[in-house]
Amino acid sequence: MAKITFTDIGQTYDKDPNQETWALKPMSMTLESGRSYALVGPSGCGKTTILNIISGIINPFQGKVFLDENDVTKLPTAKRNVALVFQFPTIYKSMTVEQNLAFPLVCRKWEPAKIKQRVGDIAEQIGISHKLNRSASKLGADEKQLISLGRGLVRDDVTALLMDEPLTVIDPQLKFELRKKIKQIIEGKDITVVYVTHDQYEAMTFADELLVMSLGKLVQRGTPEDLFERPNSKYVGNFIGSPAMNFFKAEVVDGFAQIGDYRLNTAVNLKKLSDRYLEFGIRPEHVRVQGGPGDNVLTVDFIGFDDLGSTRVLNCLFAGELIKVKVPRSFEMPEQGLIDIKLPKDNLLAYRDGLQVL
Amino acid sequence: MSRIFKYSFIFIWSAFVLTPLSWALVTSFKPPAAVNNGATFIPWLQFQPTLDGWKDITGISGYANLFPPLINSATVTFFATLVSLTFGCMAAYGLSRFSYGWKHYKNPDIIFFFISQRIMPPAVLAVPFFILLKTLHLLDTKLGLVLVLTSGLMPIVVWLLVDFFNQLPKEIDEMAMLEGCNPFEAFVRTILPLSKPGLTVAGMFSIIFGWNDLFFALVLTFTNVQTLPVAVVALNGTVTPFWTLCASAIFSILPLIGLAFVVERFLSKGGFAGAVR
Repeated sequence: MAKITFTDIGQTYDKDPNQETWALKPMSMTLESGRSYALVGPSGCGKTTILNIISGIINPFQGKVFLDENDVTKLPTAKRNVALVFQFPTIYKSMTVEQNLAFPLVCRKWEPAKIKQRVGDIAEQIGISHKLNRSASKLGADEKQLISLGRGLVRDDVTALLMDEPLTVIDPQLKFELRKKIKQIIEGKDITVVYVTHDQYEAMTFADELLVMSLGKLVQRGTPEDLFERPNSKYVGNFIGSPAMNFFKAEVVDGFAQIGDYRLNTAVNLKKLSDRYLEFGIRPEHVRVQGGPGDNVLTVDFIGFDDLGSTRVLNCLFAGELIKVKVPRSFEMPEQGLIDIKLPKDNLLAYRDGLQVL
Repeated sequence: MSRIFKYSFIFIWSAFVLTPLSWALVTSFKPPAAVNNGATFIPWLQFQPTLDGWKDITGISGYANLFPPLINSATVTFFATLVSLTFGCMAAYGLSRFSYGWKHYKNPDIIFFFISQRIMPPAVLAVPFFILLKTLHLLDTKLGLVLVLTSGLMPIVVWLLVDFFNQLPKEIDEMAMLEGCNPFEAFVRTILPLSKPGLTVAGMFSIIFGWNDLFFALVLTFTNVQTLPVAVVALNGTVTPFWTLCASAIFSILPLIGLAFVVERFLSKGGFAGAVR
């Protein structure tokens, strides 16, 4: 249970002086004690590098790491007391389940009686009590991941729990169950959790706060709601949410976004801005199909829809731009052709050079 | 078609390997007449087997006794292998997991340095080793021979085990270190228990090379410490009947054959390159 602080942490493997090529561009951030965070982003964006720097598996090229107020930048992994669950189940194959769970305590030279009790408690929490004497190598991937997690939690003083895409190798039907179980186990424990994933749903259901990364940079951090309602860049708009946010270019005229013959009100006070053109974005979830004309209503060409199961996504063309509209399954599909859609003012955000204009 | 080819190949190869062995085995039980009056092959049918050859090498007939050399060989091989495995596996683990180096020389160069010790013809080392052991008063001692053999066996062990450790996921020892082990504990508690196949192969090679060493034993030991290969060669030097020589040859490879049966279990289980996850 510790606050994790990065000050000016940067990582490069080839020591190139040009910071733009670094695996992790210099960044500072604080992860508060007892909260759970999800690091999301495409492969190779530096998520795992951050975990490895926190755990001490790699030493950062520059900057300092603090756990609470202690500078741990140079501290060996063992002294940091951080728990880590790897992408691939990492268990000690030569040991039984019980010996696996006891391992961190044996390393800490706890008394055997205390170890046995603690291991019993943890085994019960992760629901594996009945398999304590089994050889750990005989378990399924999901149980192995639970044991990895259990080995992390068995130390009662663990400073942070790091998980590096722990569900990647789990079968799809077990994924949901295991995610729920992991969440249950962690809830109620005052523990700082950092969860790495490239799956935005996993991240949103799991974490209090999301950190979206791209190309070694932290692009935006915030609650799932922040990222969904107010993406600070086109990157986040595209990465979070499915389908991605709608973006279209429009002229700024008299404080309105002018697109074709239509003038749209937006969430931003455009009068203050001197831009001639801006990009505007709106979530497909916020676009509504409207009965007739009105404020912020466009007449668009409805060309077809994608069936996503519980929802459907209408594909509409307007002035050469594709605008997607997400509707519930119960929505009655209009005939292909011209329909009216409303882009609510408060949800229509403005972007300049890929970044949100406030 | 490919099956026929495969089996005939296996058959020919087995015959190629086994014929000399079985011929030596059969000859070791032959009486003089069965050797001197033309070739015979089948015991009881073509000749009456006798134990004379075996009595000649086991001290029963008073001719020669290969048991003391056997014990010498076993002792020297055991300790040379033990030292090589103990330090070799630590060196290999270090080279597999940590980076060392000086200027542009890095881990691969260190590994090559190890294996390059085997590239050198042993004859090159004969004189230096002789002088070294003489200075240390270790000529004609088991300890001296163990030290010299270790210098040849360790490179093999290191070379094999670096490869083996490289194939074990480094997450295992990273995890152990995260959970509170220092690097040495991580190695001993988590990596070593998974390394039985690798250690077995390295140990096997080490034992075979150690057991078969004739050159250094011949140069560096004389009367006090006679190893098995030296003793067998010495038999050959005097006028020794074929059946006795054959018995000594079989006698000297028996321990290795026995060992092969013992370790075979470890080898097939998981294999040398075994899947770890």
